Amino acid sequence: MRHTIAVWVQNEFGVLTRVANLFSGRGFNIESLCVAPTEDPEISRITMVTRGDDAVIDQIIKQLRRLLPVHRVEDMTGFAHVERELVLVKVRADDETRTEVTRLVEIFRCKIIDASHDTFVIEVTGDAGKIEAFLNLLKPMGIKEIARSGAVAMVRTAADPDL
Amino acid sequence: MSPTRRKSSAHPLSGTTLPGSDIIVQVLADEGVDTVFGYSGGAILPTYDAIFRYNEQHRTANHADPMKLIVPANEQGAGFMAAGYARATGRVGVFLVTSGPGATNAVTPIRDCMADSIPVVMISGQVPTSAIGTDAFQEAPIFNIMSSCAKQVYMVTDPEQLEATVRTAFEIARTGRPGPVVIDVPKDVQNWEGPYDGKVMLDIGRYRKRIEHLKNRAVPVREGRRLLKAIQRAKRPLIYAGGGVVAAGASAELTRFAETFQVPVVTTLMGIGAIDTTHPLCLRMLGMHGTAYANYAVEDCDLLLAVGARFDDRVAGNAAEFAPNARFLAHIDIDEAEIGKVKTVDWHHVGDARTALDSLLALQKEEQIVSNDHAAWIRQVAKMREQYPMGYDRDSDAIQPQYVLEELNRLTKGEAIVSTGVGQHQMWAAQFLDFREPRLWLTSGSMGTMGFGLPAAIGAWFGRPDHIVVDVDGDGSIRMNLGELETATTYGVPVKILLLNNEGDGMVRQWQRLFFGNRFSGSDKSLHSKDFVLAAEADRFTFAQRVERKADVPKALQAWLDHDGPAFLDVRIDRDASVFPMVPPGKSYRDMITGDFIPSRTPVSETETEAADLF
Repeated sequence: MRHTIAVWVQNEFGVLTRVANLFSGRGFNIESLCVAPTEDPEISRITMVTRGDDAVIDQIIKQLRRLLPVHRVEDMTGFAHVERELVLVKVRADDETRTEVTRLVEIFRCKIIDASHDTFVIEVTGDAGKIEAFLNLLKPMGIKEIARSGAVAMVRTAADPDL
Repeated sequence: MSPTRRKSSAHPLSGTTLPGSDIIVQVLADEGVDTVFGYSGGAILPTYDAIFRYNEQHRTANHADPMKLIVPANEQGAGFMAAGYARATGRVGVFLVTSGPGATNAVTPIRDCMADSIPVVMISGQVPTSAIGTDAFQEAPIFNIMSSCAKQVYMVTDPEQLEATVRTAFEIARTGRPGPVVIDVPKDVQNWEGPYDGKVMLDIGRYRKRIEHLKNRAVPVREGRRLLKAIQRAKRPLIYAGGGVVAAGASAELTRFAETFQVPVVTTLMGIGAIDTTHPLCLRMLGMHGTAYANYAVEDCDLLLAVGARFDDRVAGNAAEFAPNARFLAHIDIDEAEIGKVKTVDWHHVGDARTALDSLLALQKEEQIVSNDHAAWIRQVAKMREQYPMGYDRDSDAIQPQYVLEELNRLTKGEAIVSTGVGQHQMWAAQFLDFREPRLWLTSGSMGTMGFGLPAAIGAWFGRPDHIVVDVDGDGSIRMNLGELETATTYGVPVKILLLNNEGDGMVRQWQRLFFGNRFSGSDKSLHSKDFVLAAEADRFTFAQRVERKADVPKALQAWLDHDGPAFLDVRIDRDASVFPMVPPGKSYRDMITGDFIPSRTPVSETETEAADLF
């Protein structure tokens, strides 16, 4: 099952290695990973998406919690949460495709942030469903390059799944 | 004294400018380190020099070094010496190695300490900061390598953090679930000069808060009542005690708990000595090579209380069928990650075993929760002990290893420190030797590292030099760190090495006999032609003897044990001796094979077993 996990860690080198090791040591792939500082500059938030057996993921989360630089772990799976990802797509935008690409950008409320004679760079933000739908429609236009941020997520209610 | 509750008065050296290397050594001294095990090399030379100078300046009245430096043959030996020291004393073991190969040789003991929750601090030299990542001479990415193995790893890139890092490492190693901490120190950081503070620590406030909470966490009254009532109601309760009891120093509490509620105790390999093995309530070890009566008790019990144990695969190889009649499973552990990892339990408490058992005993006193009469169960267990005792071929002309250990036990009476290698001899020692106290039995339990025995014994002696220290070893195991024979003689460590020599890897052969159709791949003939007596003599052992006749065993053991100094006894045992009972890997206790000399209540055919996929 797909799990979206947030990990608050001490902002110091090597933490990412230790967190990732717990997954790689069991042969688990991390589908996406996003790390950046939080409101507290000493603490970084890691958001990762992984797939695996629920019991095993639960075990990994417990093992994450005992790592010294790990402050808090939340498995958002099963909790109402919002999830967003930012994607930059470089797509073919010549005479043949330019109009259609522009139309799609409007429909999906994305932004064209760079344009040349025959390409656009599009910025799209959304949940996994929207991104996938957009990229699928864009595909026939000729996608040249994709850069994805990986998902970031936040539990919607004030309820803390840790409690 | 808790390291977090330091006296507020300043350290005498506070404000003094010192090189990084001296700062390291000063923190070690402040932490009460009397022995450092280690091998030198380019990147750690400044710190070795600092120890030399420290000893010159602080020589004791009898000209001894206040911080002994013990040099092994290989860094793995240093790691296991530190581990042996820590296991025997409960204090943090320290070892000091150089960069690159020095540190990579130490990976095995670090992982071994992690797997058995042993507190050690390893300090490794690293190439200078400016050279890191350039494939410099003797460079290895120790931070990365050790990240997967240790409880915590530091690489000191900011010299201002050096003192705090070394001091904090000790607190992390010994608190909570103990474990190894690695500090990688680039050479330029050792040479840097800066002020010594005397008490500064890294900010580990969150960790400390969590650990202190666990340390002091009594079982909540309601939960305690629930457990005690369950024990009261149970007809056949059993305690399953592990290494966590030893780590928590909870042996007295465990014994008192067992006595108060009249509950028999089985222990894991790591839990041996948690309760006196000669105690009437102690059924000795459970699991793959546990006693038949311990395993039958696990089969029969209707309530099982695990304390500081983790349902490891050598205990619960078949988790679903482990303790099949237990209607109530309870688990006390300091590590939340162990709760429910293998078995779903009906009751659990995350916290220090000693505090937990203490609080349960207090609750019993307060509420006068009287134990149900477990007398019938105790009688049943006592009867099983008589009906299914440990046994071996006592009439054989060949020297049976169990016989040698029984004879050794007669002499040491469960009071000696005993370390082992890994394999058959380790299991026989666990089955046939007594341990009246915790911290006498030193064995590589989880990792199962061959070669552990000799260096661990040497390290243990430095921690408790007043004790008899015996290394019960196998010829395969001891060969892995045989270089440490010389370490014993060089430093005059009076370790008594008992080699149960069956010319090869006995446990491998046993598995091949049982599960691989007698195909002795890699073990079909003697693995080596070594004359161990000559080897010991080459390293200047003044006692090195071989025993080949059964009748000579008692006298030889006595002479070996009485010898003043390191002593080596090469006992040529029956090559085909097997370890029984044996629960095949992945099987339930019902499938326990007891062999020809231990009665079984449910005979099992050996040929049915197919365990090639299991480990």
